[in-house]
Amino acid sequence: MTDVTAGVARTKTRTRRQKENFEGSPSKAGWFTKGALIFVCFLWIVPTLGLFLTSFRPLDDANNTGWWTLFTHPSTIGHLTTSNYTKAIDQAHLGLAFVNSVAIALPATFIPILVASFAAYAFTFMDFKGRDFLFLLVVSLLVIPNYVAFVPILKAYGSIGLKGFPTVWLAHIGFGMSLAIYILRNYMATLPKTVIESAKIDGASHFQTFYRLILPMSVPALASFAIFQFLWVWNDLLVALVFIGPGDNAPITVAVKNNLLGQQGSGWNLVTAGGFFSMIVPIIVFLALQRFFVRGLTAGAVKG
Amino acid sequence: MGTKIVTTIITVLAGVGAALVLYWVLNRLAELLPGHWEDRIKPYLYILPAYLAITFYLIYPAVETVIDSLKDSSSTAWVGLDNYTHLLKTHDFQQTLFNTLLWMLIVPAVTVALGLGVAVLADRLKPKAESTAKTIVFLPMAISMVGAGTVWKFLYTYRPEGRSQIGLQNAIVTGLGGSPVPWLEQNEFHLNSLLLMVMLLWAQVGFSMVLLSAAIKGVPGDTIEAARIDGANERQIFASVVVPQIWGTVITVFITTLISVMKIFDIVYVMTNGNFNTNVLGNEFFNQLFTNFNNGAAASIVVMLMVATIPIMIYQVRHFRAEEAAA
Amino acid sequence: MQTLSRGRKLALVATAVASLVATAACSGGGGSSSSSKTVTIWSSTDPLVFAGLKKEIVAKAKAEGITVNMQKVDNINQLIMTKIQANDTPDIAMIPQPGVVGDIVKRGKAQDLSSVLDMNALKSSMTPGTLETGTFNGKLYGLLVSMNVKSLVFYPKKAWDKAGYTAPTDFASLEALTDKIKASGTPPWCFAIGSDAATGWPATDWMEDLVMRYGGVQGYNDWVTHKTKFDSSLVKQAAAEMEKLLLTPGNVAGGRSSIASTAFGDADNPMWDAKPGCMMLKQGNFIVSKDFMPSKVVSDVDANIGVFGFPPATAGGDNPTLGGGDLATLLSTSDSAKKVMKILADPTLGKDTAGSSSFISPHKTFDMSLYPNDLTRTIASTAYKSTAFLFDGSDAMPGAVGAGTFWKDMTAWISGQENLDTALKNIDQSWPTS
Repeated sequence: MTDVTAGVARTKTRTRRQKENFEGSPSKAGWFTKGALIFVCFLWIVPTLGLFLTSFRPLDDANNTGWWTLFTHPSTIGHLTTSNYTKAIDQAHLGLAFVNSVAIALPATFIPILVASFAAYAFTFMDFKGRDFLFLLVVSLLVIPNYVAFVPILKAYGSIGLKGFPTVWLAHIGFGMSLAIYILRNYMATLPKTVIESAKIDGASHFQTFYRLILPMSVPALASFAIFQFLWVWNDLLVALVFIGPGDNAPITVAVKNNLLGQQGSGWNLVTAGGFFSMIVPIIVFLALQRFFVRGLTAGAVKG
Repeated sequence: MGTKIVTTIITVLAGVGAALVLYWVLNRLAELLPGHWEDRIKPYLYILPAYLAITFYLIYPAVETVIDSLKDSSSTAWVGLDNYTHLLKTHDFQQTLFNTLLWMLIVPAVTVALGLGVAVLADRLKPKAESTAKTIVFLPMAISMVGAGTVWKFLYTYRPEGRSQIGLQNAIVTGLGGSPVPWLEQNEFHLNSLLLMVMLLWAQVGFSMVLLSAAIKGVPGDTIEAARIDGANERQIFASVVVPQIWGTVITVFITTLISVMKIFDIVYVMTNGNFNTNVLGNEFFNQLFTNFNNGAAASIVVMLMVATIPIMIYQVRHFRAEEAAA
Repeated sequence: MQTLSRGRKLALVATAVASLVATAACSGGGGSSSSSKTVTIWSSTDPLVFAGLKKEIVAKAKAEGITVNMQKVDNINQLIMTKIQANDTPDIAMIPQPGVVGDIVKRGKAQDLSSVLDMNALKSSMTPGTLETGTFNGKLYGLLVSMNVKSLVFYPKKAWDKAGYTAPTDFASLEALTDKIKASGTPPWCFAIGSDAATGWPATDWMEDLVMRYGGVQGYNDWVTHKTKFDSSLVKQAAAEMEKLLLTPGNVAGGRSSIASTAFGDADNPMWDAKPGCMMLKQGNFIVSKDFMPSKVVSDVDANIGVFGFPPATAGGDNPTLGGGDLATLLSTSDSAKKVMKILADPTLGKDTAGSSSFISPHKTFDMSLYPNDLTRTIASTAYKSTAFLFDGSDAMPGAVGAGTFWKDMTAWISGQENLDTALKNIDQSWPTS
């Protein structure tokens, strides 16, 4: 049977690589796989491609013809310009806003991960009274829209005189905590309990188990959440607008919204450019964290 | 600007360092206690910082919200259940509830299915191709909601018959000889709501794909190998070896998507603001709070959302018990 | 022991870290210092107007030793109420909706301007009606600083002159003109109300212009304050006229079904074709900009675009002007803020801005030669010479109506989803009771 021979061949090739990994076997990527994925990727990229091309078109063109006319009427390619970008960057001070976005996003990404992973560890591996209830409370809070917290938090900040970046750092830490704990805890629950047990037998304290064992094994989940939290904070508009407001500390989202749009919605061509300018960093972050999504780090630990 | 960069770096290091130090200190404090007490206190210390954040930023506002839902629009006088009855009686609000339910039934399931599909298929490619495919599907998540609204504007825009179309969908329709259609106004069979859901799927499948891909990668190779040696084909391997081991993640993705769909608002607000029967609870909440400045009505919507998560909680509890039993 | 020395090191790190965080908190805050010589202004005017005004205001304030921090905020209405509830507001907020100013007054957070400004000077220099828009309970709380005019009908000048059309002087001649253009084979009106979240607002502008001409200033104000309901003979009369002019088949380019789905900014597109696809566009003066009109048209405004004021119902009758603008509201009691408020009330404010933006001053004493072209001068004098300036009704009504049901139900009526009676009753029902 072709299956068996194929299977044997695959096992042979796999023994040459690290056996512990469930890596993709390129020989298995048949036409269906390739075709389906190409189709999906095409669908996914067309909208963004449209926006990308439009951000280089002068306003008159963009208002009157579709972006695909660049392909059907190549003469219009001559109209392409970077003026939307230069104008947007200038009018909204996007250089400064960029630095602000980074300044806001980095702490707001790293700190919640650390705090949440401790809590997730406790919920997964420790036994204590009220554990289930406290965890369910965390999950149920996911449904609360952040906006209800704005006024009470603003008042609280006002009374202790907190201003500037720390206001949003703390806010994002608070708002993101529920999701972080939920995702991390559920991931940790899939880790083999035997590992923990053997560590305990070896006399490791909880802190050591957490630090040396669980954290490294949870890297895919930590990386996943890091991406989401970073994205959420980077693209956030309302929290930054309410707590930081317009001005020198405004991140890209706030700067684009406030400075490029007219009262009647004019200036949207600048917004397309601003939007793309803002996308560069998250894409880089995603690509950089890609390497954490390979390899099952749990295998081998069981044998070891 | 230079100082800002320096300050940021310092804060990141300081913040993370401080958190680590905090835990180390708490841990040491716990260790100082006699063993029996140490084991009992430690878990609470671990969850303490997280819970402080949650209490201040989520629980306290949630409690205030429940109280506000029983007060009037400027939160000065008690009105009891008036906010609820007033909303639930209006036909528009009932439509809104139905629409939200529609979103809840369709989007999470499709998100999981698509995310899983892409993750599984991409997994079979060479690493570079896999990375490219996943990046393309993930890309929309990098776009903010304002950007996404602009993106889809170039798909759904309508120009009257005879003028050149700038929206791709209408360009295709007119290219094939039809008349342009104002897509976002078509509420026969909730077509416009479905089109908005497509937007959300486009933006969010990346989320489910990333998590499910991580889970798939986390399945130990030996279990797959064992099944293969036993002669199972790919489909059987997937169904009986991979799926059970990633099921926890599937549930996580499903529930987080479900909950975020319940409060979805940006897409609807940016594209139609709920017109043409596309309104959902999240959008209604936003309008009540920021357009009507009616704190009471807005708060009561949040309470309704919280109540709606109870069935989800019940399911989660049962899932726990199952997990515990299996361990 | 190893752990002890590690412990000490960590303790040192902790202290250092804590102090760094504290410094970060202070320096990261930067921006708004609480010195009483700094005044923060938030405004949502268009970018060009904003840039021009900011320059003028900052310079004038500096001469008095005050630092002005002026920021542009999109959609200031949503943000300002949140900030007000949290007692964290800018010193002055320029708000484009009297309804929101009224909400702020209701919460007791706006300062009475009659004790800060020279009311007599204002009464004589400002266009009649402009002071009233910011007056609540008999006191002035919102001062109109920049103005836009809406009771205008634009047309493609070349094609218009060629066909020999003339501006109508009352509703009867407007209807006759409509029929004349239609008979020549061109849809007379360009009309589109699509605007994403705000879809429907151009239709509300039409209704307002009609109501104020049928009912006069008093009739209009009663309607805006809900003393006259939507479901009333006055409003129905206005709706009937609108139906006659716009909703009769063949009167609007693209037909009735395209009105709600076409973006308002695209309504003028057919006007500039060699054979125009429509001849008249009733819209606010902001529409004359390259964001909404082709650059070849906007490059020579006076040659390409003509305008006439929306006529009164009967020749010589009530002819108020519908418009909008930004109302400067004083939210703090500091002396510096009051001084800046006086700068904003200066009748010459905008002298450097008018030439390069769409700025129109609410003071009828403003030097007209500063406006960049004849079109703007015509527009401004339409307002200055009118019997009264009346603020856009949907901006003056409570948010639930003005930015909610009024837009939505008008959209539903025009796109055929609701009949007029249902729409009017819905709007009445949604008027907040508190």
